[in-house]
Amino acid sequence: MLTLRGITKRFGDNLAVDNVTLELRGGEILALVGENGAGKTTLMRIAAGELTPDAGTFERAGEVGFVHQHFLLVSDFTIAENLALQRSWSFASLRTLEGEAEAIIAATGIELHGPSRRVEELSVGEKSKLELIKAIAEKPRVLILDEPTSVLTPTESAELFAVMRRVASEGTAVVFISHKLPEVLEIADRIVVMRRGRVVLETKSMTAEDLAQAMTDRPSPAAAGEGARRAGEGILAIVGVAGNGQSQLAERFRDDHPDAGLVPEDRTRDGIIAEMSIAENLALRSKTNAEALIKLFSIKATSANQKAGALSGGNQQKVILARELSRKPRMILAAEPTRGLDIEATAFVHAQLRAAADDGASILLITSDLDEAFALADEIQVIYRGKLSERMPPAVARERVGALMAGLR
Amino acid sequence: MRQVAAAIAAILLLSLSALLFGRSPLELLSILINGSVGSRFAIDGTLLKSVPLLLTGLSVALAFRAGVWNIGGEGQFIVGAIAAIIASPFGLVASLLASMLAGALWASIATAMRLWRNAPEVLTTILLNFTAIHLLGWCVNGPLQERGAQYPQTDTAAAALPQLGEVHAGLLIAIAASIAAWFLLYRTAEGLRLRAAGFNARAAKWAGIDVDRQLVRAMAMSGALAGLAGGIELLGVTHRLFERFAVGYGYSGIAVALLAQLHPLATIASSIFFGALSTGAGELQRTANISSNVAIFGQAVVILVLILFGSWRARD
Amino acid sequence: MIDVIVHALPIAIVASTPLLLAVEGELVVQRSGIINLGIEGMMLTAAMTAVLAQQSTHSVLAGFAGGIAGALLVAALFGLFAIRYRADQIVTGTAINLLALGLTGFIYKAVSGLFFGTSALSEVAQYAVVLIAWIAVPIALAVLLWMTSFGLRLRASGENPEAVPHMQRYRWSALAIEALLAGTGGAYLSLALSSGFAENMTAGRGFIALSIVIFGRWKVRGAIIGTALFGVAAALQYTLQAMNIGLPFHLLLAVPYVVTLLILCGIAGRVRAPEALGRRD
Repeated sequence: MLTLRGITKRFGDNLAVDNVTLELRGGEILALVGENGAGKTTLMRIAAGELTPDAGTFERAGEVGFVHQHFLLVSDFTIAENLALQRSWSFASLRTLEGEAEAIIAATGIELHGPSRRVEELSVGEKSKLELIKAIAEKPRVLILDEPTSVLTPTESAELFAVMRRVASEGTAVVFISHKLPEVLEIADRIVVMRRGRVVLETKSMTAEDLAQAMTDRPSPAAAGEGARRAGEGILAIVGVAGNGQSQLAERFRDDHPDAGLVPEDRTRDGIIAEMSIAENLALRSKTNAEALIKLFSIKATSANQKAGALSGGNQQKVILARELSRKPRMILAAEPTRGLDIEATAFVHAQLRAAADDGASILLITSDLDEAFALADEIQVIYRGKLSERMPPAVARERVGALMAGLR
Repeated sequence: MRQVAAAIAAILLLSLSALLFGRSPLELLSILINGSVGSRFAIDGTLLKSVPLLLTGLSVALAFRAGVWNIGGEGQFIVGAIAAIIASPFGLVASLLASMLAGALWASIATAMRLWRNAPEVLTTILLNFTAIHLLGWCVNGPLQERGAQYPQTDTAAAALPQLGEVHAGLLIAIAASIAAWFLLYRTAEGLRLRAAGFNARAAKWAGIDVDRQLVRAMAMSGALAGLAGGIELLGVTHRLFERFAVGYGYSGIAVALLAQLHPLATIASSIFFGALSTGAGELQRTANISSNVAIFGQAVVILVLILFGSWRARD
Repeated sequence: MIDVIVHALPIAIVASTPLLLAVEGELVVQRSGIINLGIEGMMLTAAMTAVLAQQSTHSVLAGFAGGIAGALLVAALFGLFAIRYRADQIVTGTAINLLALGLTGFIYKAVSGLFFGTSALSEVAQYAVVLIAWIAVPIALAVLLWMTSFGLRLRASGENPEAVPHMQRYRWSALAIEALLAGTGGAYLSLALSSGFAENMTAGRGFIALSIVIFGRWKVRGAIIGTALFGVAAALQYTLQAMNIGLPFHLLLAVPYVVTLLILCGIAGRVRAPEALGRRD
């Protein structure tokens, strides 16, 4: 259906895709796995024609549908209007717009009612369905889904898988990009592992441990020591599927406690100032000894004067932590602190947070990573559509969290 | 050195445009150069012109650095001069301070509208420019008109800046302001916060910086600098106010700031460049009857070339 | 008092027709996601090219065509920087204004006969333009933007440009529409209302237009109401003058700008601008 040969793509110094050859076959669900930065999304964007490769060729046999990780929807428009953006309508009156939208949705077999509803009123799961409908409606020969389950509840994920299987059975080549191994093992007919821009493994069956090893070239870490809970106080974890009000919660906390230690969700956009040097970023709160902090937090940089934007994600996070935690604040907010970080960096962040809690700080941890929450938290709350559940100790939370995240009480 | 390339490219383009009007580009270029730096008289003229440009350039640079679109330099310049002449009976220092205060207050009108009513300062500052022009018109035709009420102008100011040869002491004040601005931006915590807010207001908020407060301070300082420019122009050059007192120094400040890449010290060189352009254009008018509007045109060309080269953004 | 307002209304409508055309044009452009500060320069250029065209052909129609042509040139320059090179729109717009100011001032001083003392348009033609601006254009824009898929995609370009395939097309189209409208406005200003060209004759109408677009919340009906409100308030300056009320002449000249500032104060609370307005990505 689509064959990629010798594809290479560079972004400046960064070799994102390194001489990759891959074949996508109709009727098959292919899982493309790897850690953040492995090159999966870049490769697929090339396949879809959104990016041009620096080298290599590809042959395509039809339309490629792409379900993006970050929705390409106009929140102010209705479902029907968003669908209309793709199709070639000319003069459209409101009534036919919605009728046609309903027909399109019905044809895809996905359930999404009320095409006159505005996108900003939809739940995250419904927005995700709309993205999927947009992609499938064009009857593509290849369908690529980029981390589609990161914002779905378990039930919604199951519905998605059913759709993927149906589409595949109709002859489409389905590509599923993910870093969630259990799901991959459940749905995929074939698995391709990428690491640092290269394909390192292609297989039809494998165990989770072996997969993790192939992705990172390191033995998969032991479960993050829940037993190592020390008798300290103060980490409250707010868990939930992304898009349920976490950002608003974080911003309110920030506005109420500007002197707290603040680690925002989007570290590149909100955490560091990319155009300023590491030293300047560290000094934003108060005078600091940049060299000392760089050493203390093991920040990998060419010098204190290097622009913060040039650092890797993990090191940017270290800069933020250094700036915020070195002040020994009484309160700390950490929003998705380990998103996109590799295993080492994640362990470092967790250690820092634990140390701060041991020192007596009270920490508000917002995360969509359940393992992280259970590893660190003393108490857990679930957020759904902007509302918080009551606080629960981790043991209780274990049983209820799945239902709570889906909005059931 | 993209900046130098941009400046040269602009001058060349400008000269070439002479062809559009049936003139020789070389002739235009040589008159420009001669008229701006070709004689003692010319150089004095250039330096004189560069003083207000340096200050309005600093005004814009400071504001843009802080992420604020202060396009109101023209109006702040005018009210600064008005305040200076009103305060002139109280002495030179009082006049200069009054001009800074007036400029800061005028700019703060726009700040207030932005904070309380979400009105974009890029528009409010421009509207305040037009308002100030007519305020000036009223002043010189009414309450501040000269004794004898013959022409629409004021009496001579009661204070004046001391002369340094052919140039006035305002030059020193302007250079001092430029150094002070540099020190503020790069050697103080306040300056760091200001630059941070300008680069990335969201991240600045997450670092505990009160972005609104930075906005107020930056606009006030920016207005004060433009107001000072007006006061100095009055007390050092014109010595009285008249209707066409504001000849675009406020808007020219934008070109000056952009060519300097918003760096306070580089504004000195940039202001001299545009001062030369302006003086040279005046010579063009005198000898070749080419309207001095060519200087405004030249500023625009410089800005556009800078945009093309992608090199007007603040670079530290 | 009502008397005065009613008396001022027709004058206001005619006098603010160029402004309305600018508002309508900028509305379309901002809906597509771009802030065109350079509309001031666009109108000024159009005012000049209209006069130049009319003077050399003695045809009013050619005059309007000339005005539109001038505006299109400016639009092309702006689009080149703002769309193609994705440059900062505010800085580009400011440069365009300076460019237009310098260039038109220059030509004004170099060429004679640009001021003719009477309107070049017959009364019928004048009223035709007014009707078009106040009735035909708003209807056409409302239909175009809200009832066609072209309009849908244009508006989407201002909300989430990535969701629109070939987004630049819509932005370029918006600029062309703006040039058409602002060009007509500029031409009307110089040919009909002001009897010729004078330096910097647009006197900030472009910026006032920008303010009214915001006040009208990027809607067509808001544009009309806002311009009418402004027009009446501004026209009051002349009526008050005629009535010899206290305010001195020069301060009365400042009335339009103060009124616009007050209009901008009327945007209390969260104004819902097109999401992607002014973004460079």
